[in-house]
Amino acid sequence: MPLFGKSQKSPAEVVKALKEAVSALERGDKKAEKAQEDVSKNLLLMKNMLYGTSDAEPQTDIMVAQLAQELYNSNLLLLLIQNLNRIDFEGKKDVAQVFNNILRRQIGTRSPTVEYICTKPEILFTLMRGYEQQEIALNCGTMLRECARYEALAKIMLYSEDFFNFFRYVEVSTFDIASDAFSTFKELLTRHKMLCAEFLELNYDKVFSHYQRLLNSENYVTRRQSLKLLGELLLDRHNFTVMTRYISNPDNLKLMMNMLKEKSRNIQFEAFHVFKVFVANPNKPKPILEILLRNQDKLVEFLTRFHTDRSEDEQFNDEKAYLIKQIKELKPLPDH
Amino acid sequence: MVSLPENMTPPLSCDNLGGVFGPDPTQYAMTSVLGQCCDDAGQVYLAVYLPTNTPIALKKFNMDKAKDEMDNIQNEIILTRQLRHPNVVVINAAFVLDNYICVVSPLMAFGSCRDLLNRHFTEGLPELAIAFILKDVLLALDYIHKKGYIHRAVRASHILINEYGQAVLSGLRYACRLVKNGRWQRNVHSFPSSTSRNLNWLSPELLEQNMQGYNEKSDMYSLGVTACELANGMAPFQDHPPTLMLTEKVRGFAPVLLDFTTCPQYSDTGQQNSNPNQAHGMPSDAINSGVGDSVGSNGNSLEGGGLASRRFTDHFHRFSELCLQRDPEHRPSAAQLLLHSFFKLPKRMNAPPLPQLLHPVIPLTKVVLGTESSEDFFGVADRLSDLDLNTCEWDF
Repeated sequence: MPLFGKSQKSPAEVVKALKEAVSALERGDKKAEKAQEDVSKNLLLMKNMLYGTSDAEPQTDIMVAQLAQELYNSNLLLLLIQNLNRIDFEGKKDVAQVFNNILRRQIGTRSPTVEYICTKPEILFTLMRGYEQQEIALNCGTMLRECARYEALAKIMLYSEDFFNFFRYVEVSTFDIASDAFSTFKELLTRHKMLCAEFLELNYDKVFSHYQRLLNSENYVTRRQSLKLLGELLLDRHNFTVMTRYISNPDNLKLMMNMLKEKSRNIQFEAFHVFKVFVANPNKPKPILEILLRNQDKLVEFLTRFHTDRSEDEQFNDEKAYLIKQIKELKPLPDH
Repeated sequence: MVSLPENMTPPLSCDNLGGVFGPDPTQYAMTSVLGQCCDDAGQVYLAVYLPTNTPIALKKFNMDKAKDEMDNIQNEIILTRQLRHPNVVVINAAFVLDNYICVVSPLMAFGSCRDLLNRHFTEGLPELAIAFILKDVLLALDYIHKKGYIHRAVRASHILINEYGQAVLSGLRYACRLVKNGRWQRNVHSFPSSTSRNLNWLSPELLEQNMQGYNEKSDMYSLGVTACELANGMAPFQDHPPTLMLTEKVRGFAPVLLDFTTCPQYSDTGQQNSNPNQAHGMPSDAINSGVGDSVGSNGNSLEGGGLASRRFTDHFHRFSELCLQRDPEHRPSAAQLLLHSFFKLPKRMNAPPLPQLLHPVIPLTKVVLGTESSEDFFGVADRLSDLDLNTCEWDF
């Protein structure tokens, strides 16, 4: 950007100028317009230092290191995120780009920005609450997903009270925000397998009572996406304990059997992939077995006619044939 | 005659449109079907936003029919919501209703450029109209590129015209990021998904899928193909099998604007006149033939031959040639092309505003405000997809 290319501001100067401008914006005094302009200008300068422009390469590592250090010392990242709603439309995106670049910074195997954010978890909580505000939700989403790549940060988010707000965010009526929130939610629950499994085990009751509401949502997309994610979670071998627990509960089986009959073919299909786990379980608890036995003939009949047009999907047809065979062979437990 | 009041200017587009429309489905009433969109994955309706009685365009996607498309549509909505430019399509609201995703956008009263070509300008739009349109598209591309995206689907059907004659670029579901992993990539290699209908417009380097990859200059090639599409009426390579289209592009044969300098000319006896392309050993099929830097010849324009008797300016020919260069390095950027002499033509020739150049096409501005057909939300197609599975009752 030749407009600012000539200026040779040092990283410290840019950070200082930006901090002053954001503070002025926060105070909302009479010079707000000027502050807005200064925020945009300095954000762009900072972004160009990190990414380069069409005619300039990014700054050297030393400059970037200085900039990062100044950002940590000044606490500017948190200030930017707290005032994100006050920054203009393009500036919001620049904040996210600066944040994402700094976050990825590495020194050997260390990620200094990740370490820094671990000491300032307020940054993460503020970002998560960003989904409450339409005008910054998507910007916060891009930063959150970048954070979720790091196990240490994902852990802080999963174990925070704010995590349970996601069950609300994924269902908001504005489609783009809901689906962005769902991407973040999914990333948090699937990215780091051991961490996720442990979280789900420790918080089983709370998570699945919330999850139940998503599966029963009025919103088609929420219902479909959460059902699909449930299938993925249960079929992941890291979540064996969680899966065992889930498929022991007859209420869960009933829900899936009802979803097999939903109007939407996609929901039927996703429900099939959860239902199959109940049937495939070699140690079915009595209440589960009883439901399956009570519906034995109906299930065989139903599954035989289920999605017969998917002839090219071999795996599905094999699984379906297996389920039908299993259900046909079901025997009541011997009376005690 | 469509006359536009002198002082009629477009509303200061972006900022005033953002939050006005709510995501509550009951506040929208559909009046009629405008057409299909997105490879027929969606339907476009003319609708009214009831709280303000504003006519809008409402796109409905049946998500139960869509498989891979669902991600594309989702990405398109999220990306479009993060772009703000007067020449980039606006999404005012997006919400879920039953198994549909509904997307609300401002009404584009002249429809897409493809609609204009199909319905009224089968042999191409007037050159001045094209200058207006392409300038707007370049402004959009300049913005999109600077924000770090490649559009990857520039074509007449993705250029919409509003009632003021402003062109707006849509079709962002094929776009990809240049900024990845916290870095600005010089080249990308990903091939756009479900793009089979865009192949004719895509650049040779994108289609080749080789190690060099491609960058935002790929869009400039597509713009060149679009320039020919707007000028000629039909899309270049229209009747070519994809492999031939690819070979031609890779060998550097670019489409041209069809006029008497580039069209093969036939005399009354059916004898072929000297065609500059022949001299270059290029195929005589003018649609895919090489750059026809004709000497203007003797001006024996033929009666009745619309294409062969018209003449586009050299500015326009040069413009499309610049875009369609085989080597992406040689193609100018969007910002550079905006300074091209082609875009000075409308002013120099004292052109009327675009809506007048599009005469006799009448914009869809007078909307019949009726609300009675809103029950159509539960479409017939939806009912057809119901399987006869609900008859079975589980015994719990």
